[in-house]
Amino acid sequence: MMPIILFYIFAVILLLSAVMVVISRNSVHAALFLVLAFCNASGLFLIAGAEFLAILLIAIYAGAVMILFLFIVMTMQTNLVQLKEGMQHYLPVGFCIAIVLVVELIIVAINWHIDPNVAEAARQPLLQNMSNTKALGSLIYTNYIFLFQMAGLVLLVAMIGAIVLTLRKRPTNRRQVVARQHMREPNQTLEMRSVELNKGVDDLGGYLRPKETYYGIAQEDSFGPKPGDKMDITEKRQEREQSK
Amino acid sequence: MNWTLAIPEIALSISGLIILLWGAIQKKGNAFFPCAILSIAAFVAVGFLTLTVSNGVGYNGLFINDEFSRYMKILIIIAGFLSIILSIDFNGKNDTNCFEYIALIVFSTVGAMVMVSSNDLMTLYMGLELSSLALYILCAIDRKNVFSAESGVKYFVLGSVASGILLYGISMIYGFSGGMGYSTIHQIIASNHALSAGFAVGLVFVLVGLCFKISAVPFHMWTPDVYQGAPTPVTTFLSTAPKFAAFALFLRLMIGPFGHLSPQWQLLIEVIAILSIIIGSVGAIAQTNIKRMMAYSSISHMGFALVGLAAATPDGVMGTLIYLTTYLFMNVGTFAVIAAMSRKGHVVENINDLAGLGKTDPGIATAMAIFMFSMAGVPPLAGFFGKFLVFKAALGADLYSLTIIGLLASAVGAFFYLRIVKIMFFDKAVEALDQRSLSLSFVTFSMGTLTLVFMLFLSPMIQMGQIAAQSLFH
Amino acid sequence: MAPITSSLFAISVFAPLGGFLIAGLLGRVLGDNFAKFIAILGMLIAVVFSWCVLGNMLHSGISSTIVPLFDWIHAGSFNVSWYLRMDMLSVSMLTMVTSVSLLVHIYSIGYMSHETMPTYRFFAYLSLFTFSMLMLITSDNLIELFFGWEAVGLSSYLLIGYWYTRPSAVAAAIKAFVVNRIADLFFLIGICVLFILSGSVFYDDIFHKIPELANTQYHLFSYGFQAYEFIALLLFIGAMGKSAQLFLHVWLPDAMEGPTPVSALIHAATMVTAGIFLMARMSPLVEFAPHVKMFIVIMGATTAFFAGTVALAQPDIKKSIAYSTCSQLGYMFVAVGVGAYQVAMFHLTTHAFFKALLFLGAGSVIHALHDEQNMFKMGGLSKKLPATCLLMWIGCLALGGIFPFAGYWSKDAILEAAWMSGSTVGYYAWIMTAITAFLTAFYSWRILFLVFHGKPRDQKIYDHAHESSFVMTLPMCVLATGATIGGFTLAPYYIGKYQLAFWNDSIFNAPTNHIMTLMHHAPYLIAKAPLALGILGIIVAFICYIAAPRIPVIMASGLKGIYQFLLNAWYFDKLYDFIFVRPYIALSKILWKVGDQEIVEGMPVAVARITDRSAKGISWIQNGSFAFYAFTMAIGLVVVLATFLIYH
Repeated sequence: MMPIILFYIFAVILLLSAVMVVISRNSVHAALFLVLAFCNASGLFLIAGAEFLAILLIAIYAGAVMILFLFIVMTMQTNLVQLKEGMQHYLPVGFCIAIVLVVELIIVAINWHIDPNVAEAARQPLLQNMSNTKALGSLIYTNYIFLFQMAGLVLLVAMIGAIVLTLRKRPTNRRQVVARQHMREPNQTLEMRSVELNKGVDDLGGYLRPKETYYGIAQEDSFGPKPGDKMDITEKRQEREQSK
Repeated sequence: MNWTLAIPEIALSISGLIILLWGAIQKKGNAFFPCAILSIAAFVAVGFLTLTVSNGVGYNGLFINDEFSRYMKILIIIAGFLSIILSIDFNGKNDTNCFEYIALIVFSTVGAMVMVSSNDLMTLYMGLELSSLALYILCAIDRKNVFSAESGVKYFVLGSVASGILLYGISMIYGFSGGMGYSTIHQIIASNHALSAGFAVGLVFVLVGLCFKISAVPFHMWTPDVYQGAPTPVTTFLSTAPKFAAFALFLRLMIGPFGHLSPQWQLLIEVIAILSIIIGSVGAIAQTNIKRMMAYSSISHMGFALVGLAAATPDGVMGTLIYLTTYLFMNVGTFAVIAAMSRKGHVVENINDLAGLGKTDPGIATAMAIFMFSMAGVPPLAGFFGKFLVFKAALGADLYSLTIIGLLASAVGAFFYLRIVKIMFFDKAVEALDQRSLSLSFVTFSMGTLTLVFMLFLSPMIQMGQIAAQSLFH
Repeated sequence: MAPITSSLFAISVFAPLGGFLIAGLLGRVLGDNFAKFIAILGMLIAVVFSWCVLGNMLHSGISSTIVPLFDWIHAGSFNVSWYLRMDMLSVSMLTMVTSVSLLVHIYSIGYMSHETMPTYRFFAYLSLFTFSMLMLITSDNLIELFFGWEAVGLSSYLLIGYWYTRPSAVAAAIKAFVVNRIADLFFLIGICVLFILSGSVFYDDIFHKIPELANTQYHLFSYGFQAYEFIALLLFIGAMGKSAQLFLHVWLPDAMEGPTPVSALIHAATMVTAGIFLMARMSPLVEFAPHVKMFIVIMGATTAFFAGTVALAQPDIKKSIAYSTCSQLGYMFVAVGVGAYQVAMFHLTTHAFFKALLFLGAGSVIHALHDEQNMFKMGGLSKKLPATCLLMWIGCLALGGIFPFAGYWSKDAILEAAWMSGSTVGYYAWIMTAITAFLTAFYSWRILFLVFHGKPRDQKIYDHAHESSFVMTLPMCVLATGATIGGFTLAPYYIGKYQLAFWNDSIFNAPTNHIMTLMHHAPYLIAKAPLALGILGIIVAFICYIAAPRIPVIMASGLKGIYQFLLNAWYFDKLYDFIFVRPYIALSKILWKVGDQEIVEGMPVAVARITDRSAKGISWIQNGSFAFYAFTMAIGLVVVLATFLIYH
């Protein structure tokens, strides 16, 4: 009895929050409703005895994906008025289609009859004396190794896509050669002095400039000096002083 | 478990990884050409592997190799191979010569091959996603071009909708049959003669998801925009390999697991085929951009190829296979000509930019004329035989109205193909196009020759097609 | 032996095609002489090989053999192949056609030497024609036969219209093509009906089925016909077109607009005999159609008589010989009609020799007189053209059926067969052909006397005349040899005691048909009557044109009506013009103005407008909006689902 009550609680909240995702005007609210929906869905999984999937849903969708999504929503400018206009424009048509689709699916539901053995079969774990996680693992790496590897390829392609579509060489970027930056000692760039107490900057000879420019560690094709430019800033300073 | 069945796919994936590694350690911009050569070598090698790999079912029933999959895979590999050759020159022009491009084409090809070999709805979905995801990225790869970005996003969003529909359908089928393997579904349908409504819904949803991939009407809306925006070599690939893969799935699913239901889905396929032929043929007439025109042309070609499926006989499947083969030659050749269209280093895509090509570059104009005539179905070029065989099969299955409407629409279609010929040979010459590169000439003329002499290979092609078709109907 | 023979056979058939392709395609590039050389080389190969084949066939007694050429598509039930049929009928025709064709090729070198334009086209067409004819005679099924049939018509069209700058030549070419086309239509229908009945177009299959289908009725417009009568009639109408029988003969005299070698080759020796060949080839079928056979006899005899009378009055040397051809073809059909196909083939062969000889001789005269064809401007040319005169004499002796020249043997055999058939139509045929024998001798010697003897009527033309070159007289000499000895050397094989072994079952005689043995027992008087009539014709001609040249003039003016009737070839052209051509032109005008301009052109315009509008509509729908696209998909999904559920 308890599982059934819980099922309906979770299911109702899940559906309501799903509706709210669609109709809420504020996209942050929508995203939060989506998190709620995910949480309830994972509750449903727990009732069904699939604890691993429940955790996955929380960890990946609610935890990672939605947080990322919220980031994006908050950093992007979204024109809500425009979105709303589009919504009103298509609402009648969409409504009609939805009605027809629902009717069609109801026809299907009428014909639905569940195999009496299903309920029993669902309670039986596939492999005896094995936790859900272990069972999933042993299936994924044996029976479904092919699909598992395919999924890996899909993710790889997604990664390539993310990189190739977003990483771009802007001429205003300054990128460092990280290794060189790590290698260099402070005294290579800066003039090291032991500063006496109670002396102002002026007393110590004014502001000092770094010996070497930032460009010394810049990547070749990023924003910076053209080839042949002087690297040492002290020479430049001397030149400037001489010209004075 | 016989893991060697998937050797071609595995080899191609590994080549893709090697290409990625090689490209990553090279200096920017220098990696494209070696990677392209590497991928061409990989395609050739995988082609041979595909021909030699044994038949059978492997990976716990997920994966199947038979004559049919071999035929389709070879077509897909040729499509990938030719797209790479086209891109060698083209991508330098618009600064998309990054090595990721090559890797993505390779991975997309792997996805398409997996789709062909799927023996389980899950394999189907993974292959479809792999091939589509790579394509979404490829469409948007020309980042300086707004159209390219638009095409990538459109394809992605609408493709996701289609994937959703497909997945929903798969879940319905799983729910109502209790299995996702094709053989399981086949058995269930064979034992229950009455089809439950839920199963029917699942079938329709899967069908719609696949129709989106082959851009059959009314799921074709993305096609013109995406074709236009994507860089030409990507369009070439997009219009061939994934379509072949989706068609392979179509044939395998409809003839295999759903074969017993053929009286029920036949009408649906007929309607979709007729709509595709008509909308494709008529829509192309008003276009001024040649890539948009080719998009409509490919919509109508897919309609013609569906005619063979509508017949649901071995002859029909054979006709569809031959049709797709001829479509590959004509289509890649035409896109090679389109890829050669540039003036002073800028890509031009208007149909009127072809004006006077017959005088300024008779060689390529002749090749283009051959493709156009072939697409219009003028004998004795390749395109004629494809149309002939599918309509012969349709007549054999007593689909008279389909045949009549199809033939009438193909007469309409002839108009816009012949208009290209007219513009090339009879309109006043505008400024000449740029000197075409060797790789483009190679593709154009080899495809032109194949289109021209296809009739000489008709007999062996038909035999291969029959063997491939038979393997679906055991 | 057989494989070698059949490959020789195939090479012999295709050598002229090679000649045509090389001479026709490369003639412009490599020059006229090269083209001539190649064309003649091709023919030479064909001739040598065809004689080899004939020799092999005679020695080894190979019966009919199928020679496969190409297997184009062989997949499942869809099978398209190309076969040749090698039996005595095709081989004897092959030998005759290639030999005459080679001689005409050689002759043409001399005849066409005055042309200002390059003549490679002419030689290419000649080779093409030869190839077409060979395809026709070596075909193994009716479709191939029809291919050759049409190709022969095409090359005839090209050659008649060779001098395309002359309007009359172009008109004649079109006329020949159209008249043949009308006959071909019937022929094609005949093939179709035969295919419907027997389910095959291959000779072997058809002939096997014949006995079982003999009593089949064919229903057309609710009338039942004896199926084979109907088919044989259709085939015979096709044959009438090609072989210029009465009512469909009108193209043949006009075809003389072509160069004379063409007339010799096509319109005397080979193409016009296609109809006879068809009848002989389909003899197993014709044998089952007794009524059509009677019809053939009547048509043949009437044509022979009709053409003989018309030939009497023609002033043009070539037209006169052309009508003679028409008349001789009538003889052959008489033989076909009485069931003596072998005799028809025999006359066909001897006729090829002497008629080609006569045409080449006429060509030699015309060439010598710089394209003068009117006989009433000639005369006394025997002094200027002694060789041509002698050869023409031989030709006329053969044509007139004078012992022992070739025509005597074959023509006599036909008359005997007609008499011995014993039927009313047979007697009718005998009477008509006997009268025609007289007419034949008369007009032959009329030509000889008008051209070569008497006094020159036009001194200017006479003075410029010159004997033809060796290259022209040589082929004529060869033909003259054939015309002299062809009769008695070939008679035993074609119709005499060796005929059964010679034909080797390639020609079929029904078990009840004993005409081949009966004809040798004709009464003495009947057998010798044609010879006597021929000699009488010569005497009358001598009286009319040498002894008393005023007689024909008086007769022409006195019997003006008859003379005009004959001169205008019984007014067939005028009749056809009135019955067919004018109503046709009127109907065409109506169809053009109303049917074509308003209805046929109007419909595409309307369709185009609809298409254009819907194309714009489709472009308009493609508005670029995501949501719209997604909605379209959703609507599509819903509709497809609804369709499926309802249908399901």
